[in-house]
Amino acid sequence: MRKIILGALFFLINMGFNLQAQNKYTISGYIKDVKTGEQLIGASIVIKEIPATGVNTNAYGFYSITIPEGKYTVSAQYTGYQTKVDTIILNKSTRLDFAISDAATELNAVVVTDEKKDQNITATQMGVDKLDIKQIQAIPVFFGEKDVLKTLQLLPGVKSVGDGSSGFYVRGGNSSQNLILLDEATVYNASHLLGFFSVFNSDAIKDVTLYKGTQPAEFGGRLSSVLDIKMKDGNDQKLSVSGGIGLIASRLNIEAPLKKNKGSFIISARRTYADELLKLFSKNPMLKNAKLYFYDVNLKANYRLNDRNRIYLSGYLGKDVLGAGNFGLNYGNITGTLRLNHLFNDKFFSNTSLIFTNYDYKITASFGANSLDIISRIQDYSLKQDFQYFLNSKNKIKFGLQSIYHKLIPGSITTTSNSPLSKRGIPNKFAWENAIYLSHELRFNDKFSVEYGARLTSFTLLGPGTFYSYNANDVVTDSGKYTQTQSVKTYFNIQPRATFNYVLNPKSSIKGNYARNAQYLHLLQNTTSGNPTDLWIPSSNNVKPELCDQFSLGYFRNFLDNMFETSIETYYKSYQNQIDYINGAQLNLNANVESQLLYGKGRSYGAELFIKKKSGRLTGWVGYTLSRTERKINGINNDSWYPATQDITHYITAVGIMQLSKKWTASLAFVYYTGNAVTFPSGKYEVNGQVVFYYTQRNGYRMPAYNRLDVGFTYQAKKTEKFESSWNFSCYNAYGRENPYSITFQVNPNNPQQTQAVMTYLFRWVPSITYNFKF
Amino acid sequence: MKKIIFLFIVIVSAVFMSCTKVVNIDLNSACPNIVVDAELNDQPGPYTINLTQTVNFSDNNVFPAVTGATVVISDNAGNSETLTETGNGNYVASHLLGVSGRTYNLFINSKGKVYTAASTMPAPVALDSIIADTSSKTRGGGFGGGGTTTPVVGVSVHAVFTDPAGVTNYYRLIEYVNRVPNYNNISIISDQGQDGSIISKNLGRRDTSIHKGDTISVVLESIDANVYEYYRTLAQITKQQTGIQTTVPGNPTTNLSNNALGFFSAYAARTKYTIAP
Repeated sequence: MRKIILGALFFLINMGFNLQAQNKYTISGYIKDVKTGEQLIGASIVIKEIPATGVNTNAYGFYSITIPEGKYTVSAQYTGYQTKVDTIILNKSTRLDFAISDAATELNAVVVTDEKKDQNITATQMGVDKLDIKQIQAIPVFFGEKDVLKTLQLLPGVKSVGDGSSGFYVRGGNSSQNLILLDEATVYNASHLLGFFSVFNSDAIKDVTLYKGTQPAEFGGRLSSVLDIKMKDGNDQKLSVSGGIGLIASRLNIEAPLKKNKGSFIISARRTYADELLKLFSKNPMLKNAKLYFYDVNLKANYRLNDRNRIYLSGYLGKDVLGAGNFGLNYGNITGTLRLNHLFNDKFFSNTSLIFTNYDYKITASFGANSLDIISRIQDYSLKQDFQYFLNSKNKIKFGLQSIYHKLIPGSITTTSNSPLSKRGIPNKFAWENAIYLSHELRFNDKFSVEYGARLTSFTLLGPGTFYSYNANDVVTDSGKYTQTQSVKTYFNIQPRATFNYVLNPKSSIKGNYARNAQYLHLLQNTTSGNPTDLWIPSSNNVKPELCDQFSLGYFRNFLDNMFETSIETYYKSYQNQIDYINGAQLNLNANVESQLLYGKGRSYGAELFIKKKSGRLTGWVGYTLSRTERKINGINNDSWYPATQDITHYITAVGIMQLSKKWTASLAFVYYTGNAVTFPSGKYEVNGQVVFYYTQRNGYRMPAYNRLDVGFTYQAKKTEKFESSWNFSCYNAYGRENPYSITFQVNPNNPQQTQAVMTYLFRWVPSITYNFKF
Repeated sequence: MKKIIFLFIVIVSAVFMSCTKVVNIDLNSACPNIVVDAELNDQPGPYTINLTQTVNFSDNNVFPAVTGATVVISDNAGNSETLTETGNGNYVASHLLGVSGRTYNLFINSKGKVYTAASTMPAPVALDSIIADTSSKTRGGGFGGGGTTTPVVGVSVHAVFTDPAGVTNYYRLIEYVNRVPNYNNISIISDQGQDGSIISKNLGRRDTSIHKGDTISVVLESIDANVYEYYRTLAQITKQQTGIQTTVPGNPTTNLSNNALGFFSAYAARTKYTIAP
């Protein structure tokens, strides 16, 4: 298998070489923002004389293109920026850096005409959504907190887990099958306040890219998607302060050069104060004394050691603090990434990263003089090495490796008393995950391009501990004792992937892809909406790695000189080793949690329609997804196919942003979707003096359909070179729809002879005002 | 722990102006299924088992009796008795005697459908003590107590017993007030992680339904593993019914065959009495 891949690679690279006839030289360099010095990710370099050879900057703003000698007009282009043009005579390899300026600040206009407008047609990748941070700011938001995860839920193929939730499903995968990366560090729980806010402070974020289809080979470990979030590097030109004051949270962001043009740092922090407001307004003593807040801090520093080496250090710290009476729950993520960019030469780029990530929660409870602490934690120590080789204008090769050591603490209990619970800690788990990858992007000509590659992964569950085997009836059949670092079970997987793009004409293209992904860590969820106490478990002798094969095909077409972008993407996904639970499963603080699991397969398929208006006074998009997601698990619903919780048939979103005047912008966002599949009782009975509900089918019912309209207005109060300020007014759920958060069944308290269904709904008309400033 | 999470969901929801209302959900009607409520113990009989049917969710809580069924209980010592139907879905065994260590088999034939179950009666474990108190302690810092003190009302009942070391035991504790079972104050216990230790359990705190002079009795049932699994999953599912979400709602794991609901438990019982102060 490997020989075939290498042979094919050799052949394809040779094809690229054989086309050359004259001397070739390399143009390379960085593209950055002239005002802040931020390196721009995915900016384009276009050679006017040979339009088919354009390249994009990588995640660190670097580009490299190798073309025959000659005189060229080279332009640097980026969405929302003015294009900058340079003419060079190429007779030796040349370093060419660009500093381009933000069109909005320079021209004080919203319409930017110079961007590379047909990127969606020409790029090889499909199923990729890149969020424009500027556009996020115009969309109406929940409580005035701009949120990348909630904005993503307005795109086709991405679905919300529930009302107000930052959790999301991508193309039928569940919320734990998304790999969420913040500067390469895995974020294990991306939600604050039980999901109503995401952990990402948009002030500190430079770039948000979601891979719904084929994930590039450098990413792995989750079945469904990769959400790659990159933090800003910080302003290396001058001190800059920005912030916002809102009803329930405030933000402050400081950026400054460490040394001008050499290095910079950014500190961005926010804190909510909903509990303080609660104390002022609530009469309920339980709420008055409740603790309920979160804070997070993003930090990043970078320094250019010389022309070839640049070092980055970034970190995130976030914490939620919830408390009421004698119970407390704290949880949060810590991540840290140390990176070194190195240029071996003008074609060969390398990045080395050392990554640490930690997620933990702590529950404290006190009963008189006794107290009980439960701590659960997951930690990763990781080394990642990526190489990019820009061979020539037709070939680009990426390869690298990653090694992650996982430490999982499912539940450690400490008590002050001699409580029997003190003996019930759950053994820690250790695992080692490794991957190597190779991918090759090849442009045959200006019509046809492919990108293909493979990721080879291994996962080893390590001792110490006693590991049990369970049979199909979840009865222990065998056990074995393992010493420290002894391998309990190892899995290997080859994960091939390929994408093609065929440009039919300058206005349309067809793209297709295939990928296999493997997931070695699994999240056991207590509820559909997700809790901070959901448990991550490693693959083991009982739990096999989850596998997913995805095929997708899409048609892309632009209209009216690229003013309208449209696309239809279809996909089919087949899953193996999916996990579900036995009835009444006990997941937390259970040493034999694997005995509570059932395994089976899944499938999902669907079509995504997307129409986007990119320019003019009115911009925005409409998305529609028609899809189905099913599972077949041994032991559930007589082993037949049934809808998964995240099976949402119709999902419609619409976003409109209208420039009303120079000062005022109005925005609308609308969402409609079919209710999740849920399990409701079909009858009831009495046993032992108690009325018990009778269930006939797992996920046999639907929640009522969800719909919501949000409106927002932004008023640009002041805008000068020195100071900018704006007011944002928004209303979440403007027509006050009662969208169910949960439906429960109970005995009617007024008539014990009857039972009833009770719906809980959370948000009707949530208005907010936020003041934002920057100087 | 789920209670704690639920508490925070309540608080977060309250902050965000949550509301509840009763809604009409169009639930399918299910084919009536048999419900078996069958227990026998090591105390003298007669033992009564009860057979009823499920009804639709929208119906009143009136559960039709299963009549005309053939019910047989036998043990592995060669004893067997066909139970006598006495009306209201009750079937009575008057000769059989429950003995610890024996395995009992339940056989039901109703309208041509056969349901069976087996349960092994464990050895009894005695209660060391039960305590009912109205201690004059005041509490502070509870839910929203925040340092304020409230006089304690109601009666707290506490049971203590010693788990035999070296054997796996499962228990169910149930409180009776004036001989009426208090289904709110039930506790199921496994000795996993506490084998051989002294186990003490609160059965209901500050229960205001108990009055001075009431007879409180606590029964310690020693149950087998399958019955424990039934009670455990039942507790998980009924928590769902009170609004605390669990993993997946479903029917409890039962030792009955053929998709019958309910359970069959052969248990050893030990009881202690006290009078509410």
